Amino acid sequence: MYVYLFQRVISAFLTLLGMSVVIFVLLRLVPGNIVDILFASAGFVNPAAKEEIARELGLDQPIPVQYGHWLRDITRGELGKSYRYEIPAWQVIKPRIPVTAELAFFALLIAVLLGIPIGVLSAIRQDTVTDYLLRTLSLAGLSMPSFWLGMVIILFLVSYFGWIPSMTYVSPFEDFKAHVLQFFFPALAVGYRSSALIMRITRSSMLDVLREDYIRTAWAKGQREWIVVFGHALSNATLPVITVIGIEFAFMIGGLVVTETVFNLPGVARYLVDAILWRDYPVVQNLVMFIAIVVVIANLTVDLLYGWLDPRIRYGVR
Amino acid sequence: MNSRRLRLLVCAFLALLPFSTANPAPTPRAGGILNATLIESPPSFSIHDEATIGATWPVMPCYNNLVWFDPLKKQESPDTIIPELAEKWAWQDGGKSLVFFLRKDVKWHDGQLFTSKDVKYTFDTVREAPEITAKLRVNPRKLWYENIESMEATDPQTVIFRLKRPQPSLLLMLASGYSPIYPSHVPLAELRTKCVGTGPFKLKEVRPGELIEYTKNPDYFVKGRPYLDGIRYTIIKDRATRYAAIQAGRQDLPYPLEIAKTLAESVKQAAPHLVLIDSPTNVYDSVFVNLTRPLFKDSKIRAAINLAVDRQGYVQAGRQGAAIIGGVMLPRPYGVWGLSEAEQRKIPGFGDPTKQKAEARKLLAEAGYGPSKPFKITVSTRAVPSYVDITSYVIDQLKQVGIEATMEQVETGIWHAKMTRHEFELAVDQTGIGPDDPDAKLYENFKCASPRNYSGYCSEEVDAMIDKQSETTDQKKRVQLVQEIDKRLQLEGARFMLGHSKEYYLMQPYVKNLIPHQSVYNFGRMQEVWLDK
Repeated sequence: MYVYLFQRVISAFLTLLGMSVVIFVLLRLVPGNIVDILFASAGFVNPAAKEEIARELGLDQPIPVQYGHWLRDITRGELGKSYRYEIPAWQVIKPRIPVTAELAFFALLIAVLLGIPIGVLSAIRQDTVTDYLLRTLSLAGLSMPSFWLGMVIILFLVSYFGWIPSMTYVSPFEDFKAHVLQFFFPALAVGYRSSALIMRITRSSMLDVLREDYIRTAWAKGQREWIVVFGHALSNATLPVITVIGIEFAFMIGGLVVTETVFNLPGVARYLVDAILWRDYPVVQNLVMFIAIVVVIANLTVDLLYGWLDPRIRYGVR
Repeated sequence: MNSRRLRLLVCAFLALLPFSTANPAPTPRAGGILNATLIESPPSFSIHDEATIGATWPVMPCYNNLVWFDPLKKQESPDTIIPELAEKWAWQDGGKSLVFFLRKDVKWHDGQLFTSKDVKYTFDTVREAPEITAKLRVNPRKLWYENIESMEATDPQTVIFRLKRPQPSLLLMLASGYSPIYPSHVPLAELRTKCVGTGPFKLKEVRPGELIEYTKNPDYFVKGRPYLDGIRYTIIKDRATRYAAIQAGRQDLPYPLEIAKTLAESVKQAAPHLVLIDSPTNVYDSVFVNLTRPLFKDSKIRAAINLAVDRQGYVQAGRQGAAIIGGVMLPRPYGVWGLSEAEQRKIPGFGDPTKQKAEARKLLAEAGYGPSKPFKITVSTRAVPSYVDITSYVIDQLKQVGIEATMEQVETGIWHAKMTRHEFELAVDQTGIGPDDPDAKLYENFKCASPRNYSGYCSEEVDAMIDKQSETTDQKKRVQLVQEIDKRLQLEGARFMLGHSKEYYLMQPYVKNLIPHQSVYNFGRMQEVWLDK
């Protein structure tokens, strides 16, 4: 187990190192940098002033040197200074992480609370009207982009109630109700799409398990339906569902851009787009690395959960 | 009561009726927070470093100018300039010195006393006087102050601008939202991340990318102002969400320069209680050829391009009715310097579209182009929806006379660099300049070698005319000169003018005293704004 864990940590480290090179190079391949953008609204270019600003920001250095400086700063726990806001990048990133994490958590919670029961119900009522209805519901969820659903929710709220959630972040300690409402609707928009995926995986996994001999035996012994379904079948059908949940969570951290924009939530994803448009290299590089770390950790957690959920799985044994 | 007396009584009653039934102007009420909207964070808090409404609009409440345009008058002109940090001013030495007598009761937000030293420091910095110790990072308006020979702070309450030659426009430029007075005791780099002004509102909180909040300045030198307790500028990136927020009453004000007429009308239809104000602005749309390219040395090709574009169609199709046709300066009666509509219609390009298109085809044929050998051209524009809309319209017009045009969308970040380097064939642009003033516009966009003279147009004769109007102190004569220049620039194809955009402001009915001017850069102080709720 420890050997396996060690191997996974080394592999995760190498993945992140590779990611850092890709992010760094890709960003610099995009035409224009912060200096061009600073002069963009001024409507003219002053080559001497441009060179001076580039020198101040270290953009006149060769790319490998700039990369080396970035890695050196990361190892020292320094994330550099935001070119755009001229404050430490960490100060810009820090307040955004809890917003995105909370939204992703609630979205996932909604996805699980909707997806698993509906998937189970659909499986045990296979090929009935209930099954068809629930499958249609899940197909609708998969077909609707979450940002579109988000916009529909906003327009619905404003048209029928003349109300929309707060446009600035409300702390739960300041106004708990407003905070919950601020996160509920975007979480619903994102969670519904994810729930559709979880529902479909749960259904197909449950259908496989429900045909197993031990389930037939449980039925034959006259056990109650809920014990058979939830006690025996569901616990054995969860492995693929856990995989999907892990992937969905990792996806959500970086994939909430449009939902955060539509609901005006000051999260990581929305800010990442802003930072890219401004070529705010320190912020973009560190945010993308943060997302990459979340994805790597989510994958590792899923793998470790396998062993806990299924005692037959042994790590590091060939 | 006899009938005569009765008639008299009825007449007296009717005479008094208008007074008794008319709604008296409501008395301004103090209090409340104004919820204003931004589409992004300001590029910085240093207005002198920026050339965008994105900086002036949310930062103006923090600062003051020496003088400003009366916020309650819709049209800006030399006659609507009123004192702000200056109590009064005087032209001396035949217009070569401008003396400001400053208020004594003004404090910076950090408690320091405001003096003439701050005024001298501000304009020495902007004009990059030899004695300055720190420079602005980007200095987009150095050109405005090139005529200043020296600045003198003769005593704490007097400051003198010594000019190389008379320049009445200096006062208009000083009244612009782009000309705040900076504190000489705060480093310039700090002013990019915060604001320390003398203005009606003090900075309370900044959440990058989310919110800028101001609170009332209790020591403000204008007694009883501001009326508001504070302003919250919320950054809402998504346009549909911005208008849903206004409709739902979360926001009181939109962001200027962003709402299309059709969208404004549809939101107004959905929420009839909102107030919709339209206002022509001094932001102009134009098409320009790259005069530095040999291809465009042929005047027939230039004329054909100009004649191909139907200006009335531009108003209806390109701008969906949200524009007025006009030349370089905003036309009358909206502005004070531009040509009247009748005069504008005499300029080639503004006449009968059918006849003009026939003429354009004929000119192209004379230049050697036709159906068998079409004239091909790339039209560059910024990758911004309103620019792309107008460019699509222009391309369609060019195709109608046989010009094969294709669009190149250029990202905003590199647009000006490309234009300054003349890396384009034909371009479509929107140009807005602080005050509706000939000096600000003509020197920047049309003087030989100006970095923002993108077409590369250069005429020594016109340069001399620009200088002449600049030093003409007689307003009537100056207007005539400016109009001559306007005509000449259009006839010589310095830029093919299309028209001036109209802006739409959709706000809550309880927002009072926010009067849009013809320049969006100058009315964001919020000193007089109050909430009737």
